Amino acid sequence: MFQYILRRLGLMVLTLFGVSVAIFVLLRIVPGNIADILFDSAGMVDPVEKQQIVKDLGLDLPLVTQYAHWIGGLARGDLGYSYVSEKPVLDEILPRIPITARLAGLALLFAVCAGVPFGVISAVRQNTGLDYLLRLISLAALSMPSFWLGLLVLMAFVNWFGILPIYDKAPPTWGAAILMYGVPAATVGFRSSALIMRLTRSSMLEVLRQDYVRTARSKGLSEPAVTFIHALRNAVLPVITTIGIETAFLFGGLIVTETVFNIPGVARFLVEAIRWRDYPMVQNLVMFIAVIVVLVNLIVDLAYMFVDPRIRLRA
Amino acid sequence: MHASRPWLALVCLLASIATANAQTKGGTLRVTHRDNPPSASILEEATISTDMPFMAVFNNLVVFDPASDLNRLDRVVPELATSWALSDNDRTLTFQLRDGVTWHDGKPFTSADVKCTWDMLTGKVAGKMRKNPRKTWWFNIKDVATDGDNKVVFHLFDPQPSIMAMFAGGFSPVYPCHVPANEMRTHPIGTGPFMFDSFKQNESIRLVRNPHYWKPGLPYLDAIEYTIIANRSTMILAMATGKFDLTFTAELTPELMKGLQEQAPSLQCIMQATNTQGNLLVNRERPPFDNEQIRKAMVLSIDRKAFSDILSRGVYEIGGANMAPPEGFWGWSKAYLETVPGYGADVEKSREEGRRIMKSLGYGPDNLLQLKVTTRNIPDYRDAAVILIDHLKSIYIQGELDPVDTSVWYARLARKDYSVGMNVQGTGIDDPDVQFFENYLCGSERNYTSYCNADLEKKFHEQSQMKDIDIRRKLVWDIDKQLQEDGARPVVYQGKGGTCWWPRVHNIRIARNTIYNHWRFEDVWLDQ
Amino acid sequence: MREALYYARRYPLGVAGALILIAFVVTAVFANVIAPYDPLTTNARFSLAPPSRHFLIGADMMGRDMLSRMIHGARISLAVALGATCIGSGLGAILGLTSGYIGGWFDLIVQRIAEIMQALPLLVMALVITASLGPSLVNTIIAIAIPLIPNVARVIRANVLSLRELNYVEAARAVGMRGRRIALVHVFPNTIAPLIVLATAQLGSTILTEASLSFLGLGVPEPYPSWGRMLSDSAAEYLRSAPWLVIFPGVAISLVVFGANLFGDALRDILDPRQGD
Repeated sequence: MFQYILRRLGLMVLTLFGVSVAIFVLLRIVPGNIADILFDSAGMVDPVEKQQIVKDLGLDLPLVTQYAHWIGGLARGDLGYSYVSEKPVLDEILPRIPITARLAGLALLFAVCAGVPFGVISAVRQNTGLDYLLRLISLAALSMPSFWLGLLVLMAFVNWFGILPIYDKAPPTWGAAILMYGVPAATVGFRSSALIMRLTRSSMLEVLRQDYVRTARSKGLSEPAVTFIHALRNAVLPVITTIGIETAFLFGGLIVTETVFNIPGVARFLVEAIRWRDYPMVQNLVMFIAVIVVLVNLIVDLAYMFVDPRIRLRA
Repeated sequence: MHASRPWLALVCLLASIATANAQTKGGTLRVTHRDNPPSASILEEATISTDMPFMAVFNNLVVFDPASDLNRLDRVVPELATSWALSDNDRTLTFQLRDGVTWHDGKPFTSADVKCTWDMLTGKVAGKMRKNPRKTWWFNIKDVATDGDNKVVFHLFDPQPSIMAMFAGGFSPVYPCHVPANEMRTHPIGTGPFMFDSFKQNESIRLVRNPHYWKPGLPYLDAIEYTIIANRSTMILAMATGKFDLTFTAELTPELMKGLQEQAPSLQCIMQATNTQGNLLVNRERPPFDNEQIRKAMVLSIDRKAFSDILSRGVYEIGGANMAPPEGFWGWSKAYLETVPGYGADVEKSREEGRRIMKSLGYGPDNLLQLKVTTRNIPDYRDAAVILIDHLKSIYIQGELDPVDTSVWYARLARKDYSVGMNVQGTGIDDPDVQFFENYLCGSERNYTSYCNADLEKKFHEQSQMKDIDIRRKLVWDIDKQLQEDGARPVVYQGKGGTCWWPRVHNIRIARNTIYNHWRFEDVWLDQ
Repeated sequence: MREALYYARRYPLGVAGALILIAFVVTAVFANVIAPYDPLTTNARFSLAPPSRHFLIGADMMGRDMLSRMIHGARISLAVALGATCIGSGLGAILGLTSGYIGGWFDLIVQRIAEIMQALPLLVMALVITASLGPSLVNTIIAIAIPLIPNVARVIRANVLSLRELNYVEAARAVGMRGRRIALVHVFPNTIAPLIVLATAQLGSTILTEASLSFLGLGVPEPYPSWGRMLSDSAAEYLRSAPWLVIFPGVAISLVVFGANLFGDALRDILDPRQGD
């Protein structure tokens, strides 16, 4: 078991190394760099001044040297300076992480709390009207573009309640704070909840057919006990996998949702940093996201093994 | 509020006099912002995104009278300079400076700061700023000398009445000698009514009241806060629900302004001429536009009214290089406009002639000229380019849109890597010196098409030195007409934009012929 | 034919999905015939015209007929969805097949690369790709196809690995069949079913990704009428004065993706009953 974790951690480092090279190269393939963008707002390019900026930022050094500087700094905990704001990257990223984390966490919470119960209900009442309705609703949720949903939600709030649940640095009341995080989280989580509902349903159904459930029933346990104690435990496996996969997809939804609801989180910031070709910012942010994704995958795999003893034996 | 209703202005004036003693101190003015300023240093930037939020941090030597809604040469009032005088055949400009002004960090303001600033701007002192976009403005300054702590002398090469306009514009604040340029980009120090508090990338800009401002009793507000909302639909909803007091200047199209006023009828709104132009960049070195006939045909195919109607429900103005009246002082009159080729009201006739020209060159409905229309990949530019492509169809040109990412737009222009470009650009001041020298002078960096006409340039300098405004204007009209005839950079529309604010904000006075001025907010106050 | 009818009766939802998809494809293919106006002609007089006899669902800011733009937009969405799904799934399948069958260090490398690609956020990758290649129809297809590859490769590879262990493959080897023949005759046909299921599942998400890209300002450029871009920022500003600009493209996208999902679900039930319901 311990060996397995060590091996996975080793592979993780390898993957992250690969990600660092990939994002480094990808960024530099994109035409234009920060010097070009800086001049864009001035409406002209002065070649002498531009050359000076390039030199000051070290953009004329060979690529391998630039990469070495970055990775070396990373190892020491120095993430470098943002080209645009001229402040340390860490100072820019750190305050934004909790905001996005809260949003993502709430979204996942909503997804699980809405998805799992409805999935169970749908499975237990298979092929009834309720089942069909829930399946259709979940499919519709998976079909809507998330920013469109976000815009419609905003409009609905303004028209029906007269309030706008966009980000406010200092929300006046507890209610406002809850709305401020809750509404965008629900918008992002809506899609994930549909996925989780469908997965829960299908795995519940599969499990409900299994032999050991029949055995438990024959032993005389009551129907609800059979359902929730035995079936749910095994049905939870795909849900755990989904949480792992969804973490990466969630980010895409967060980007557009943060834009629509004007939330100063990490996702929206990343898009802006790419637009500005702010290499230090983008590189370090992407590494951070990659670390999260890979870590979550590892935790999910471990949880998988914990819940399903058969897998543990094989490992 | 359409400012051409004089009775309304009179009522407002009387009302403001009546309530003049009722200003309340305190409160935070909340303004929306549309995108991230590239830096906080006004001298290094040319974008309104930096100019509007940070103007309140600074003072100029002189300024366009904030009480007037038109920025004009004859409405320049003192700020850091108490008076000024011309001498030596109008080649020496002496400013008498104000006593007892301090920078936000406590150090005293002296003439040395003025000399530092303009030495930097004219390029005499290199290596301080990353960019110097308005270096061309100050072409006429030979040198700057200080005469004691309170006097500064500018020696000019030639007389130039318009130089006062350049000193008075929002882009000409005075910088402190003792603060390095990179700090001015992130934590600017000025002498203005508000002090810099924080600038969170992509999020917000916050200024707080300067308790030692040299105008006693001002400013009234405690703080000003700009919140960056990139998504325009979200911004409009936020404004309508009262989350903000004032919109970013000229952000609203006429359609949006109308919609906003329908949602919130008590909002006050004004349409400003932004001094931005939609114009065509024509690459004279690349076929087919090396052929002047094709250039002429293209200009004849444009229906300027359609641009104005589609982009702005008819609010955008039609004119030449200089801003059209009534807001602009130097633009053509309606009568003169009719005499400029391509500007006539009969579009179909112009297009007929364009088709005739194209046919004589061998093109026709079965032989279309294929070309790419290059533009920046943002909605305002793209929309204009789409309309242009549609118009070009009328003279047998099949255009294809070539959207270019912002980061490489100017690099491509500099490389002349385009055939036709659709461009939108702003000019800081409604003044022919600024307009001509920035955009049409041989070798100027903003002269994207490298248009170079030595005879016309002589006329640029001629009008620059004229004192009589009416004679000067006549010459300016002629120059402008010739620029359009040459197809130097055909102007397609002159932009306008709407700004709205809630009535609880008092003393907002917005200029109607510029967006780059009047943002000190020193005598603005809020209902509490 | 009888088989098709049999399945149709058992899976009515799948049939509904298939009908939606067929309508979508027909609209896209015959756009020129069906659309009442040219989707590209601008006309200032009709800017933001509300739905009427002339413009059945109104006109946009440039005076272009929304209905014609929607119909031609189907063509663009279809091109992007089909292109991206085929390229992405195709390349992913090839990678998955070869790495699963050949194994060894080749397999290890491909796996690592797939893991790296999956660690980068999907939208970010698409963003960087379109930013570097420039906004165009082809580049959008490429940008959406590339993130699909690792997903498909992993699933196909897992499939191949499990198939390799199967008895009849061993039996074939025992009889003396050569590796390549085994692959073609036994392994490959059995991966088609999961591949089709996966591809149809991706169809919906490619359309949604294109919409997000356009919303952020990348993706398919003007003047192509792309549903995703019709929903972008400038349209949303007119939410109150001209809601038809925002409602119809959104409904269209949702409907087509819904149909694809319904059809994909039914297909999965038929071809791969182990996974299901």
